[in-house]
Amino acid sequence: MTKARRPALFVLLFSLAVSPLVAVRLAAQSDHARQFGMKIKCMCKGCDMTAGGCSHPGGAFSGPCETAKGMLKEVDQHIAKGETDDQILQAFVAEYGSVVYVEPPKHGFGLVAWMMPIFYIILGLGLVVFFLKKWRKRAVDAPATAHAQAAVNPSDAFERARAQADRETEE
Amino acid sequence: MDVFGSFSLLLAFVCALYAFIGGIAAIYTRHPLLIKSARQSGIVTCVLIFFGTFSLEYLLYSDNFSIAYVVAHSNRDLSSFYKFAALWAGQEGSLLFWSCLLSVYIISVLIAYRNKNGELMPYVGVVLAGVQIFFLTLNNFVESPFKTLAAVNASGALEMVTRSDGNGLNPLLQYPEMVIHPPNLYSGYTGFTIPFAFALAALLARYPGEKWIHLTRKWTMIAWCFQSVGIMLGAHWAYAVLGWGGYWGWDPVENASLLPWLTGTAFLHSVMMQEKRGMMKVWNVWLVFCTFLLCILGTFLTRSGVVSSVHAFANSQIGPWFVGFMGVILLVCFTAYFKNRDYLKSENQLDSMVSRESSFLFNNLLFLVACIAVLSGTLFPVFSEWFSGSRISVGAPFFNKVMIPIGLAILFLTGVGPLLAWRKTSVESMKRNFGWPLVTGAVGGAIAFALGYREVYSQICLFLCVFVAATIFMEFYRGAKVISARSGMSMMMSAHELAMRNTRRYGGYVVHFGMVLVFIGLAGAAFNKDVQKVMNLGDSMQLGPYTLVLQSGDTKVEKNYTAERMIVEVLKNNKQLMMLYPEKRKFSGNEQQAGTMVAIYSTLRDDLYVVYAGQDPDTNFPVIHAYLNPLVKWIWLGGVWVVMGTLLALMPNRKAALVLSPAPQTAGATSPIQQTLNPSVSLREGHD
Repeated sequence: MTKARRPALFVLLFSLAVSPLVAVRLAAQSDHARQFGMKIKCMCKGCDMTAGGCSHPGGAFSGPCETAKGMLKEVDQHIAKGETDDQILQAFVAEYGSVVYVEPPKHGFGLVAWMMPIFYIILGLGLVVFFLKKWRKRAVDAPATAHAQAAVNPSDAFERARAQADRETEE
Repeated sequence: MDVFGSFSLLLAFVCALYAFIGGIAAIYTRHPLLIKSARQSGIVTCVLIFFGTFSLEYLLYSDNFSIAYVVAHSNRDLSSFYKFAALWAGQEGSLLFWSCLLSVYIISVLIAYRNKNGELMPYVGVVLAGVQIFFLTLNNFVESPFKTLAAVNASGALEMVTRSDGNGLNPLLQYPEMVIHPPNLYSGYTGFTIPFAFALAALLARYPGEKWIHLTRKWTMIAWCFQSVGIMLGAHWAYAVLGWGGYWGWDPVENASLLPWLTGTAFLHSVMMQEKRGMMKVWNVWLVFCTFLLCILGTFLTRSGVVSSVHAFANSQIGPWFVGFMGVILLVCFTAYFKNRDYLKSENQLDSMVSRESSFLFNNLLFLVACIAVLSGTLFPVFSEWFSGSRISVGAPFFNKVMIPIGLAILFLTGVGPLLAWRKTSVESMKRNFGWPLVTGAVGGAIAFALGYREVYSQICLFLCVFVAATIFMEFYRGAKVISARSGMSMMMSAHELAMRNTRRYGGYVVHFGMVLVFIGLAGAAFNKDVQKVMNLGDSMQLGPYTLVLQSGDTKVEKNYTAERMIVEVLKNNKQLMMLYPEKRKFSGNEQQAGTMVAIYSTLRDDLYVVYAGQDPDTNFPVIHAYLNPLVKWIWLGGVWVVMGTLLALMPNRKAALVLSPAPQTAGATSPIQQTLNPSVSLREGHD
């Protein structure tokens, strides 16, 4: 295996860059735009990330792509016009369609996504309560039946008690 | 070797068919020779699949570039380590690898139980052979890994072509964890076939009692453990390699691995209801069926391209095959259930609403709701396209909002459930068991608040974590105290003795403790910070208490890649702390993709996570993206505890020496029956 350290490329790069350039934030966009960018998807169709958090994992450059940067610039333009976040979001939906949402909207068909977990919880809780009540009732009714059966056949009752003891003490 | 591999798989298919058809005939005729031959055919099927897998590995190692799969996923410069991993890098190889791991389980089961459970095993063999037939169909006729490269020559005939080199392995997979993450995850997926086969076989055979549950408990735990490790390693890989600062993005492929884990976890809990109380027999059978179906569904989602995913590594046209297979499984399960449902008659009775039984019901409810919520969220984009005509994306924010409350409720039950007695829990017992843990939890929550972890969900999570840890600690303490008093051993030795006497119960507690650590780590995610900067030599950036100074950069030429490396000095409170070396690797023959080697300075308090993102396209200067992620290390520590707990639970119980002196009444709601029969072993109904 050939192994070599070649500082040349970057040392050259840096030595050329000793000009009094001040390091700049990568995104020229405002914090507001970047925060808003977390609510919309990057539409480059290559990363499936948010415009604000686009980093193209596995790409040659893992930073925001041109599409994401363009979208954030657009957000800043909307902000400059004094638009609210909701208005900006609607503008992006009008431009790209509902696929631009990071999370489903809380209206229209998107509301179904939000309602589903609540529905599952309510349905599940209802079923659990139903079965708990049913089983509790069965337990209340059971001793009388068991007592009657024991009177008829005491050895059966003994076997059941023994099986129950086995179950309870089983490790 | 490719001919040998192809032939092995074809012969394996024939043997699996015989194991299936011969097995069915054996069930009807009960002929001993037929039963034996079907079983042996099942064993031979597995051996032939091993041959096929070995053949593909041989072709990869021998750089046989006449094989399409080798060309697509390997090259000459690829290290031996990653040539091994190339087996599961592509669709065809990973399906063969799936068959191979399934065969490891199947051959183990067929050999281990060859002289046991004579009534049940022919049914088990048939179900297992049925599953193998499906995967062997894919291996042989749909996605064969042994296809050769061919081209049309001048005379119009097809002729074999051999390339001088291959395309190489996907750079994202060239990371040590990717050599162990997929095998673990696949072992989890395939392992759930065993409890499925036993459950379906028991139902078909009307096999008496809870025997199938006893038989499959360890298999289920092994599969669950592999699935847990696979998920953890996948999360760590995403964290350490993808370079986006997170470990879980609710990507469809990640979700697919979580679904069977959730139902499998629910099953591991609810199965105790059947063992202890003869309850929930129908539920348990369906939980196992669903877990297996979700394994297949997960594979379908990963490979069919039905949902978009950043790392659905292999999309193809095999979706309909999986849909068909799931349809057949559902049909068989429903038919078996409706035909034999009277066999599953349970003894469902509940003595009190406040009891271990009811806590298990709520536990199962939460795991199932979590599973269905993740599933419906994952599939929602497809549903929205069907019903409304436009695709609505469902990303991480949605899953976080839905899953955090459910996760916290599960965490709460992790603390409460094990302390509730079977049948009935008295108020006195609750006060005794929950008093100190609640106080400790409140103190822990206050300390977290004072340390600056001030976000509602994180605050609740940290309170619950301390509460649950305290309940677990008290369980160990009480038991160890009794053993120590009786034997004179130290508390540490007594705790060890306690755990070894009831490995399943105390292994379960260790797993719970591991999950507490994982939740502590998750709670930190609310406080993540990051800064991204184009940096020049000597420039610095501030992130939390750390100052990062870009000192230099260099390149490193390796056989298979060239790495650009940044040298970043880290200072804390103006004192030099360390140097970090984030890298960007560019692989030969794959210029569009690159590997990110994140440099992480990890402590229990936070991770300083530094990514060299590459050169800014506008200025050509290096871009450094630094993240400060609190508490992440706790997640990986938690994963280790989960594995240790599972291994403990898999160990056989050590027999306690019989002590005839009466046990002191120190803890819990001990059943009088239990104290009379078994005075020295356990003070209270266990977690098991």
